[in-house]
This record gives sequence, structure tokens and C-alpha cells, in this order.
Amino acid sequence: MRQVAIIGAGMIPFGRRDEDSLLDMLAYASLNALDDAGMGKKGVDAVYVANMGAGILQHQTSVASALVDRLSLIPAAADAVENGPASGASAIKNGVLAVASGYYDYVLVAGGEKMREIVGWKATDFVATMTHPEVEYPYGVTLPGMAGMFTRLYMEKYNLTRDQLIAVAIKNQKMGALNPYAHVEMIITREGIVDDPDSVVNNPMAADPLHLYDMCPVSDGAAAVVLCSLEMAKKISKKPPVLVAGFGQATDTHTLQERDDPTDLKAVTLASNQAFEMAKLTPKDVDFAELHDAFTILEIAESEHAGFFKKGEGGKAVEKGETSLGGKFPINMSGGLKARGHPVGATGVAQVVDVVFQLRHELGKDRQVKGAKTGFTLNFGGFGNNVVAFVLRRAE
Amino acid sequence: MTDELKITAYRCKKCGRIHYPFHDRCLDCLERDFEEIKPEGDAKLLAFTEIYNLPWGFDVRTLKIGVVEFSNHIKAMGQIQIDDFNKLKTGMKLKTFWEPVRVQAGEDVFGLVLR
Amino acid sequence: MAVDMDLEALLRAPAIEMAEYPPKMITLANGKKMIVRQADIKDVPVLLQAVRPTLEIPRDYYDIVGARLYAELLGWYRHRVRNEYCLVGQIEGYLVGIVNGRMVDKDIGMSYHTLAIDRGLRVGSHLFAAKMEYHIEILGQQEVWITAESPIGFRRWMIEYGLIKQEGVQHELGGASSYKLTRDLYFETKPRLVAGKRPVSKRFLDEAMDKIMVADEDAISEKICGVKGR
Repeated sequence: MRQVAIIGAGMIPFGRRDEDSLLDMLAYASLNALDDAGMGKKGVDAVYVANMGAGILQHQTSVASALVDRLSLIPAAADAVENGPASGASAIKNGVLAVASGYYDYVLVAGGEKMREIVGWKATDFVATMTHPEVEYPYGVTLPGMAGMFTRLYMEKYNLTRDQLIAVAIKNQKMGALNPYAHVEMIITREGIVDDPDSVVNNPMAADPLHLYDMCPVSDGAAAVVLCSLEMAKKISKKPPVLVAGFGQATDTHTLQERDDPTDLKAVTLASNQAFEMAKLTPKDVDFAELHDAFTILEIAESEHAGFFKKGEGGKAVEKGETSLGGKFPINMSGGLKARGHPVGATGVAQVVDVVFQLRHELGKDRQVKGAKTGFTLNFGGFGNNVVAFVLRRAE
Repeated sequence: MTDELKITAYRCKKCGRIHYPFHDRCLDCLERDFEEIKPEGDAKLLAFTEIYNLPWGFDVRTLKIGVVEFSNHIKAMGQIQIDDFNKLKTGMKLKTFWEPVRVQAGEDVFGLVLR
Repeated sequence: MAVDMDLEALLRAPAIEMAEYPPKMITLANGKKMIVRQADIKDVPVLLQAVRPTLEIPRDYYDIVGARLYAELLGWYRHRVRNEYCLVGQIEGYLVGIVNGRMVDKDIGMSYHTLAIDRGLRVGSHLFAAKMEYHIEILGQQEVWITAESPIGFRRWMIEYGLIKQEGVQHELGGASSYKLTRDLYFETKPRLVAGKRPVSKRFLDEAMDKIMVADEDAISEKICGVKGR
């Protein structure tokens, strides 16, 4: 298998983009990635498009075919990849395999979602279609609801505290305010969301025990990367190529109730271990991570299940500032899903784009992890029933 | 309203693992022969939440959702109908009913209700 | 414009004396302090200046809400709406939101509009709550009639307050169904929806009362629609 590198990364600002169609967003992000790779008029052999819900949200299918047409990349092969909120990382994984196999030389992977053209409670329903159609969905359970149940169990088992969740929210919104691509640019304060009596209205309960500011926003957005072999990347890339050192993907039961221990995110552990094994690295070798904090609890639980902290220690690490910029292990310096936003099909690609920016040392002092050489991403599908992880390294 | 729970779970004839919902092969031993079983005994609350931002299709302000385990180890999600959410505790016993849990296309959809 | 006071005497409706809304201070999620206070009729020209840019913003029905609010405020200014009031939210003197309504009689309040200029901080929710507080607690009314012109409004008012639908009752804004908030419902929802502290310290109150500052038109459009194509 060939080693695979990322030679181009691009994104558009996430948020509410009424003026742009899904295809507009995918095209803009793709062009940014192709330009970043210096591809000029050179074509790619294949395009993978990550998208979860255009069929439902836009009443549009075959988005990959539409994107190659839009970008005049014909006759490139084109496939759409759907793996819920982990569609982005799944699409990159497929692109990496295609290049690694030697079958394709240049691959474009784009992820996008347009979720804000429907009202909030229809978006909530759309996301809830990931739940089991017979034994979960009819009850009105939502993904925040799943996260609420999970949080209570995690609190009971590991003494996780609300203060630790709040620390994640404050940290990530602070970083989002510094990220020009982030949906939420607003700093929040402990006073405003917890301490002041007015916080009852500012930060109402959303899915007990999780509050409004424990949740990521519903966003529009797109992100893209260009892949080729590391050997080729070293010859053509003007920017430091980023090596896809390892990846992993694992699944778990569809329903939480069928897991022996519902607080054990086995797929996170398995996917992460696979990625580390392939990269011949351990969590200790990683400088920073972009984790899937659709809910604050997930950043903490994933940081533990991926092996960066012992169980029950992830929350304490956030509180101590260890996961902040300058801390021992910075997490979500992009603002994470919490602040960058969560256009579901785009998220996994955006996480990788953010890690590429970090590994190329392109960010400002207020977000750049100093001397970053190795980064990690974790894209969490369903409620942990399909998880994809990457270990990415700056290629010297 | 009926108290008969229309829940069918599946016990693997080889290893005894209980499945709900249905799987074509056992999650543990991959065998395909199952015995159909019905929930029995008390329902013990394993996990619960109250959801405030509901999906389209619900005309109430919040929904209380829980997962319970019956005495014969079938685990199932249901809607909890109790006035005071703060009275809920992990491990407590709840009574079970089979009642409408939502309306779809003008028709009641029945499911597990916990009180 | 010259006003024929003889004709005015015929056109102007007699007004009911309305108790003044005591200002309060609300801490927002970002830690900033929003002062909620009653606007004076003399403030209307500056409020209209803030509402004007919304007439061109179809997003989230700002154009409809803005156009109707503009007319209501102008109607108040020119004494064509009876017993109207307006509350404003200010942060560091800047106007961040407006709510208005009127007293129909001593028992019934009519909620008109809620316009948030700064978004993402629940400014609209806080101001709507202040409006309900005014009707029920300050004016001592029995119920407030409410309708919604946007999905956001429907969710924030009808769902979050659990308002009671009034079959066969016509809200003054016409169109959509009419709902009501009763005294009981208000006091039931107050702990989770009505925020703020009184009295407001002199420094904050002076800053708010000194002048209603209004961002320029582009800034208002940007605040409502967001930047970066949002």
C-alpha cells in the first residue's frame, strides 16, 4: 500500500448560508482545496462526497455526480458517502484507500450539509432519523436526548461534573471566536451561563442534564481535501504535505440499550486503536486532537476512550486547562463542533482540514499548537455506533 | 389503552443472549435461531432524560424518555409519564403500559409508556 | 408638519394611565449586561432609525415584523394607537432589541412585536419575557394576547410558555391563531423564563437613559443576518 498525503485543504465559513445551495458550498470548499493543493487545471481521478441528508433536506440525490459536473471534473469517478455525522471521515477513509491501493493518483474529498433551510425542530427530526426506526425513533428521542442519558450515566459512573462540561463549552466557544470559519463567534462566560441567576434563561435545560450551551449549533457548511501518494506529494506540493499516518473505523450496536455497558464507547476505542496501530504511534505521541464534541460530554468521553486520558480524568484535564492552548494536550482549537458548527456531512472533513492547518503551522498565535507534528481526529457517527479516527502527521 | 406490551424480544437458542430489537444473527455467537420472548416482571429504570427541544411531530413542551430493563433482561426505550422529573432515579421500578406515544399521519402510534 | 389641533382632538383616542415599567438589568450568556427599560414616546424617531434596515431583511420574517413594528411605533408617536408602550434592551447604551404592545383594557394586554437586533444571546426571549412581566406584574392585567409571525416566535412563545390557544378570538395583528398568557401561566413559567435584577445601578441606568445609541444600518443588517454569508 502506498502512503497517502493530504496536499490541499479548504473550507468555507460555517454558519447559516441562506444564499448558497448545498452544491454551491461543496463547490466553493472544493475549489479552495484544489487551489490550496496548487492543482491548477489538473483534474482528479476520483471524487468522494460526504453528505448525510440532501435526499431529505434538499430533495436532491447523487450529489457526487452533481459536484463533478459543477467543477468540470468529468470524467472523474464520483461516489457519495453517507455515514451519518461521520460521513466526512468515512469519505476521506475511502479516498485514502483508493490512493493507497494505487488505483487512483489524485482524489478530491468534499463534505457538506445544508441544514438551516428547514426550521430547527425539523432539523432535530432529520438528525433523529439515525436512531432505530422501530424501538427508538417513535418515542421522540433525539441525539441530544441520547447524549443526556449518556451524560447522567457517565456522571454516576465517573463522577463527571457539570463544571467540567461547562469548561468544555467555554473553552470551545473561546476558540471558535478566534476561528474565521466558525459558526459561533461568541465568547461565553461562566457568569452568563451558570453563576448568575439570569443564566436559568440564558442556558436552559436542553436534554437533562445537558443545557443549551452543551450543544453544538445546527449549521450549513462544507470542507474539502485533496489526496495523493506521499511520494508524489513530496515532488509537487509547495506546502508541507500531511501524511495520513493511520486510520481506523469501528461500529457498535445501533441502540444504546443493547450495549453491555452504555458508558463504554467501544467503537471509539477500537477505531482509535486501529489508527494508532497503523501509524505505529500511541496517544502519547499525539500533540493535539479535533474531537467530535456535538455535545460537551462527547469531548470528554472521547478523549478518554481514545486513550488520551484515563477514564474519569478527561473532565478534570479540561478544568485544569490541560486541553486548552498551551496545555499538555490541546483539544478542539478550531472551536470544535460546539463553535465551528456541525453541518453533519462536512464535519469529519472539516476536522481533518483543521488538523492540516495546524500541522502546516498556518494558524495565528492564538490558535496554533506550537510545533505541532502529529494530530488526531475523531468523527462520531450515530450515538457512537460508527466511528472513524485519523492520525495525521506533518511529513518532513 | 391496553396493558399488553407489544414488545417481542429474541433469545438466542444457542448462547441465550437477548436481543431487542431483532437481529438476523446473534450479536455474540452469530447463530440464527431465536426464541421469541415477551417482557416479564418489573421494569427497572436504567437511563433517562427530559428533552426540551423536540423533533417535529410532537405537540408537547418536553418529553421524558427512559430505558428500562425487565426482570427477564429485555431492555427497551419508552416514554416516561410522571409529573416531577426530579423524582426519577436510576434503578427505580416503573409500571409499564402500551399506549399512544405519538401521532403520525393522523394515526396514533403505540409504544411503551412508563409511569 | 403643522398639526390642526381641532382635528387632532377628534382623531386622538383617550389613553388609559399606564404604570411605568421599572428598569432591570439582565446578565447575558457572554457576561454583558442588558438594561431593559421603558422607551419614551420622544425616543420613537431613533427607534425607527433602528427598525428601518429590517424592512429589507426577509430572513426569519424580519421584514414583516420590522414593517409592522415601524407602523406601530409611528402610530404611537402620532397618537394613532391607543395605550401603546415600548420596552427597549440596551447594552452599553446601544439598542439591541425592541418589544411593544398595548393595553386593551384594564384586564387584557395585546402583545405586538419582538425585534432582536443582537442575535444569539436570547435578547428576544428576555425582552418578550419583560413584556409579559409588564402586562401581568406591573399593569396587573389578567391575560395577554399573543400571536406569532415567524417559526422562531412560535417556538419561543407558544411552545416555551405553553400558551393557551384561543379559538374564535381575533388578535389585533390578524392572520395567525391567537394565543393567551394568563396570570397563572405567567407565574408558573416565570422562574425559568423571566430574568433580571432591580434596581439597576446608577452607572448602568445613566448609561442607558442618557441616549439610545443605534448602530449604523449595515451593522444592524450584519447583526441580524450575521457575517460571513450567514
